[in-house]
Amino acid sequence: MHTSKHVTSFKRYTGHYRRRYLLPIGFLLVSFLLMILPLSGFIASVKAVLAYVFIPQIRAAHSTVEYATGVSQTVQQLLNTHRENEQLTQEIQTARLLAAQANDVFAENERLTRLLQLKKNYPWKGVWAKVAYREPTQWNTVILDKGTADGIAPRSAVLGIYHRQEGLVGVVVEVTDNTSKVLLLRDEDFSAAVRLEHSGAEGLLTGMGLRALQVKYIPLLTQIELGDKVFTSASSSVFPAGILVGQVSGVEENTSFQTSLTVEVTPQIQLSAIREVFVLTQEK
Amino acid sequence: MLNIIKLAFLFVLATVFHWALASLFARWGISVNMMLVFVTAFCALFKLPLAYSAAFVCGLFLDFFGAKLFGNNAFTFTVCACIVCNVAARFDFDEFFPQTVAVFGLTWLAGILNTLLIYLFASANAWPGFLSLLGGSLVDGFCAPMVFLLVRRIMGNSSLIRQV
Repeated sequence: MHTSKHVTSFKRYTGHYRRRYLLPIGFLLVSFLLMILPLSGFIASVKAVLAYVFIPQIRAAHSTVEYATGVSQTVQQLLNTHRENEQLTQEIQTARLLAAQANDVFAENERLTRLLQLKKNYPWKGVWAKVAYREPTQWNTVILDKGTADGIAPRSAVLGIYHRQEGLVGVVVEVTDNTSKVLLLRDEDFSAAVRLEHSGAEGLLTGMGLRALQVKYIPLLTQIELGDKVFTSASSSVFPAGILVGQVSGVEENTSFQTSLTVEVTPQIQLSAIREVFVLTQEK
Repeated sequence: MLNIIKLAFLFVLATVFHWALASLFARWGISVNMMLVFVTAFCALFKLPLAYSAAFVCGLFLDFFGAKLFGNNAFTFTVCACIVCNVAARFDFDEFFPQTVAVFGLTWLAGILNTLLIYLFASANAWPGFLSLLGGSLVDGFCAPMVFLLVRRIMGNSSLIRQV
C-alpha cells in the first residue's frame, strides 16, 4: 500500500518536474542551438513557405492598418459633412421661403420693368390699365378699368405689348371717371395717318373688321416690300409719331385708273388677346 | 478538435494583431510586440506544457520573419513564459492591473534580451531606442487586458485552461 502510494507520488513529482523545468529548458536549448547552428539555407526555405502561407494575414493586417489610419480622417469628414448638412438644410428651408416670396416679387418686378422700359424708350406719359370688359356684341371695342381720374382723356392713344414689342391698339373714344372705352384699330371707324418704314410714304390706316388693316392713299410709285413696318405718322392729329402699327402683309393689285396704292397690314398686337394696355395721357 | 481550432484561430488572430499594430505604430517609431502580449496571456491562462509550447512556437514564428538572427525570439519568449508560468500562482491575472504590469515589464525584458542576443550572436545592434521601447511597452500594457479577455472568451471553459 505504502509502496504504491510512493510510486504514484513519485510519478506525479516526475510529471510536474518535467512540465515545470524540462520543457522550458528543452525549448531554451533548442532556441540556443538554432541561434548558433548554421541553418541559413533551411531557414530560408521555411521562410519562403511561411511567407507564402501567411500572405493573407499580412494583407489583412495591412488593410487593418490602412483602415485604422484613415478612421480619424473619415470621422472628421463625417463630422464636417454632418455640420454642412445641417447648415444646408437650414439654408434650403430659408431658400424655399424666399422663393415663395420671390415669385410674387418677380411678377411685380416684371410688370414694373415693362412699364419702365416703355417709358424709357418713348417720350410719353401714360397709365397702365386692365381690360375690364369686352362687349360681346362689339368685339372691336374694350372697356378699361381707368378713366379721367387717372388722367385718361378722349382721343388718347392706346398701346399694347406683344412679344416685348409695343404696338398701337386703338384710341379712347369714351371716358368716365373710372372707365374708358377703346376703339380697336381693326374697327371700320378707326383711322390714323401712318408711314411706311423704308419708303417713308404716308397713307391712311383704316380698320377692316375681321380682315387685315388697310393703308390707303400711298403714292403709286412707292417701293413697298412685304414685311415693311408701319408706324404712326407725325402728321396724325391723334397719335404721336413712331408708334408701331404692324407689318405689310400684302399690296393690292393695280387696277384701271388707279391713282394710289393700297396695302394690307397685319397688326403688331394680337387684339383678341390683350389684357393690359398703356394709355397715353399727355405728350412731353 | 475544437480546442485545436480555437488555438489555431487565436494564433492567426495574434499574427494579424501583431502585424497590424506593429505597422501602425512604426509610423511613430514605437516598437509594439503584440505577439508577446498574446504569449503572456497564453502562459497566464493555459496549462504549462501548452503555455511553453505556445511561447516557443510563437517566438519561432517571429524568427522566421526576422532578418538578423534565427531563434532569438523563441529564446526570449520561452524565458518570458518561464517567468509568467512561475509567477502565475502569485499574480491575479484576472485583474487588469497585473496583466498590464506584467506585459509592460516583459516587453522591456524581451527588448533588452533580444538586443543582447542579436549583439552576441549576430554582432549587430538591434536596440530599438528607449522611447520606442517605452512607447511599445505602454501600448502593449494598454492592450493586455483586451488580449487577456479575448483569449479567455475564445477558449471558454476549455480543458486547456489552467485550473487555479
